[in-house]
Amino acid sequence: MEVRNRGLVTALRYRGREGMWAWLLHRATGLGVLFFLIIHVIETAAVVYSPEFYDEALQIYKNPFFRFAELLIFFSVLFHAVNGSRIVIQDFWPYLMERQRQLTWAAGIVVLLVMVPVTWIMVAPVFGLAEEPGLERHLERCVERTQAPACLEVVE
Amino acid sequence: MTVAAQVDGRGEPRRGGGYDRPKGRLANFEVFSWFFMRISGLVLILLALYHLIWWNLVIGVEHLDSQVVIERWSNPFWRLFNVLLVTFALLHGLNGARYSIEDYIRRRGLQIAVKTIVYSVVLVTLVIGVYALLTFDPASFFAIR
Repeated sequence: MEVRNRGLVTALRYRGREGMWAWLLHRATGLGVLFFLIIHVIETAAVVYSPEFYDEALQIYKNPFFRFAELLIFFSVLFHAVNGSRIVIQDFWPYLMERQRQLTWAAGIVVLLVMVPVTWIMVAPVFGLAEEPGLERHLERCVERTQAPACLEVVE
Repeated sequence: MTVAAQVDGRGEPRRGGGYDRPKGRLANFEVFSWFFMRISGLVLILLALYHLIWWNLVIGVEHLDSQVVIERWSNPFWRLFNVLLVTFALLHGLNGARYSIEDYIRRRGLQIAVKTIVYSVVLVTLVIGVYALLTFDPASFFAIR
């Protein structure tokens, strides 16, 4: 097998324009989501064996700083989904490859438009600018399940 | 636009670049892998985006606890949903990681070593996740509590 080495700087100087950046971001978001999934699946499986451990682990997710990580995960999955749709469309209707640059822009714009309200809903509560999403539903649940771990915090 | 020449082992050049599928050839592993990424990707758009919207925007991470998850999993539909989600997501991710490893790690020995580690971690995670979902027994859960 031939071994080719290209430095990072050389790679980034390559002017592949929209297609290259979409490809790079697709790869980065995919690997990032896979890394998170490994942690997420194991930690969620723990709920079956030790709910107490699971509730402890959840405290990490409830840290305000982690909200930005959650937003990054949301963005990663959304970008991967929209850009992936573009790739599927181009693969099955190859003549659309002639419009791949415009389609890449369209994918990027769709992602940004969706991210605007999502960012507000997820981040505004951290700064006290809005209620936590799902608060109403949570309070209703806590009337019936006063002993649920997340409800104990509400009582305090 | 330049017209690509006919190359052995490829189908006809097609509009937009690339070639048609060669006639009369059986699909190999890479063709299957390519197709799997498209199909699992389309399924995951529905499953993963629903999952993200539900837990981040409708329920809210702040309101999560073990009880919420146990209540959700008491319904076999949601356990099946999660089995499908975790299986498709991890296999799609594993194959994507394989593409990256094969692109960046060119030394054969190192590539095999890295693949062994990544495949093991992802497949063990998949087994843990699916096993937990399939053996989850809501009845015994609520009996203890």
